Amino acid sequence: MRVIHAARQSLLPSVRKRTFTISIFLAVMIVASALTGCAVRLIGDYDDTIDKGVTNVQQSAEEYFSKLESTPSTPYDQSVYDDLDARLVVLSSRASALPKYSIIVKQIAELKNEIDDFQKIDKAATRPLTSHAFVNDGESAIAVTVESILKLELALKRGATPPSSSTSK
Amino acid sequence: MALDVGTLATQMLGAALPILEKDAEDAKSFAQTEFTKIAQTIVSIGEQLAAGQINQAQAVLLLDMQKSASRSVLLALQGLALLAVEAAINAALGVVKTAVNTAIGFALIA
Repeated sequence: MRVIHAARQSLLPSVRKRTFTISIFLAVMIVASALTGCAVRLIGDYDDTIDKGVTNVQQSAEEYFSKLESTPSTPYDQSVYDDLDARLVVLSSRASALPKYSIIVKQIAELKNEIDDFQKIDKAATRPLTSHAFVNDGESAIAVTVESILKLELALKRGATPPSSSTSK
Repeated sequence: MALDVGTLATQMLGAALPILEKDAEDAKSFAQTEFTKIAQTIVSIGEQLAAGQINQAQAVLLLDMQKSASRSVLLALQGLALLAVEAAINAALGVVKTAVNTAIGFALIA
């Protein structure tokens, strides 16, 4: 009996602390829910334009990469980068205007950074290309970033039926 | 009917934890795939530089691209974590909604 009482006494402070912590958490959540009057929303909603826009940027980049890989004499094409840059600026503007979209704004900035880097490599490379290894490396980085953006963007659907089907490469 | 903290807390945790665990597994799988690709490319850059297929300036830029890609993956994980926490919170509030609103006498939790 004394052992049981002693064990209970030693557990009581930690149990009380845990219960106190949980009750504070519970109180905060209830107040937050009451104040907002609706479900908690920590990040923005799915945006079909961003989804399709990023996919289209990747598609355009891939078309150019394919040319570089298949035809080593493909000249440097400034118009490709001008087009990609313009599209990314528009996507960035849209993302900046959407509520709770700061993460995707940053991801789009990273995508733009990658394309800018690849442009520098491409512009400096002599033709015909003796190796298209740099194309594969650049293509891979851009693909990872696009996948990261789309992974998050599609998750923002939160299981809802999309207004139109989103495409991926 | 008085609210019981212990019961409510247990119910909330019971609703929240499975969501957090499932979403963590999904995020881990995604991160593993993407970081593997980045790692393979970094190794490839080193090999190409050693083989003379690319020069140092190109290697620096290609590595910068991999850093951007890494940041993008981490940003995605940050976003997925927010979604997981959001779902967990809403699930936790959902299970206690009836009990809380009944005890308090009005729809405190919408």
